[in-house]
Amino acid sequence: MTFRALTALVAARLYEQRRLVVYACAAAFVAGLLQPREAAGPIMFCSFLAILMALAQSPGSYPHLDRCEQSAPLFGRELARAKALVPCIAAALATLAYAAAAFVGGAPDALRTLTMALAAVIVTTLIALSATLRVGSSRALYVLLAALAGAIAYALAVVAHSLLAELGFCTLASFFALRQYGEALARYDPI
Amino acid sequence: MPLLRMREASFRLAGWSVAPVTLDVSSGELAARTFASGREAAVVALMAAGIAKASSGCVLIGDYDPRVQSVACKRLAGFVPHEPVSLDERDFGAYVAYRAALWNLDARVAFACATELRATLGDMHEAFAFPLVGALIASPELIVLDRPVPAYAERILRVAEGRAVFSTHTSVAAARAFRRSDALRATQA
Repeated sequence: MTFRALTALVAARLYEQRRLVVYACAAAFVAGLLQPREAAGPIMFCSFLAILMALAQSPGSYPHLDRCEQSAPLFGRELARAKALVPCIAAALATLAYAAAAFVGGAPDALRTLTMALAAVIVTTLIALSATLRVGSSRALYVLLAALAGAIAYALAVVAHSLLAELGFCTLASFFALRQYGEALARYDPI
Repeated sequence: MPLLRMREASFRLAGWSVAPVTLDVSSGELAARTFASGREAAVVALMAAGIAKASSGCVLIGDYDPRVQSVACKRLAGFVPHEPVSLDERDFGAYVAYRAALWNLDARVAFACATELRATLGDMHEAFAFPLVGALIASPELIVLDRPVPAYAERILRVAEGRAVFSTHTSVAAARAFRRSDALRATQA
């Protein structure tokens, strides 16, 4: 997949979802102003937003983009990487909005909290993306799995006081989640 | 050699299935098929364009099997969906640029080609014209139309001149409109 195709695909999807992205950022900013001192806030709240962003990529939400992407000469894995970037960017923007509000509110360790939250948000998004290609109980299971990943990231970073362990867990889980999404998208029949 | 070959190709999904389809479409040929339901027509069109994979039987697009070489199939076949796109004339440039990027086409050449096609389509509503123009700028050898609007048959076939066209329909009259346009073109020639 060319870089041009990747940026076109990501830009088109972000443009279609611009309102959702703005609302998420605004909600994150307000939440950040209200509770800037706790690490649980950014991780849990932004992970929740990340799951919503990922679910917004479900087939049928933007039918003309879906059809163009499906009929384009792109491999499933390439398409998965490009589509995964969209909720990751949106969720990262919301996390940055939260961190900005927390920084304005004078939260200590704002940079550390931002790093923790970003790592958790990315892994949550990538796991939740697999839910978009499924229905019923397996869809719910992937959403729960995404929430669990966010909770594990929190436990490692805050309870176990190990940012490195959290980053390691998130990197590994993100890698497998993206692979899984790519495989599922390659086999997916848009009917 | 046929450009599109379907042999007993069917699709099954949770107790619902499409009856096996067998057909050949050669280069430059027009083929229109009628199906019992819109869903069936849509699924067959998706299989013919290499987007959906047949559950049983065989589909070959220019000797490529969509189950193995879907990218090669999608380079040969352009798909025009039944659903109109929710875009208006102001979005034309952005839409063409988006399609050109996904198909890795030269943006300027694609836009020039799209503008010419749009002019040829005349007052055809943009919701139906854009997907057709988008499919044609990639110069596919086969155009697959999912339940196209019969009123636009002549214009659609005019811009698809020289290419193989396979269309699915839910009424005999709609399918005949495309065949009639073919006959009209032959008379004019």
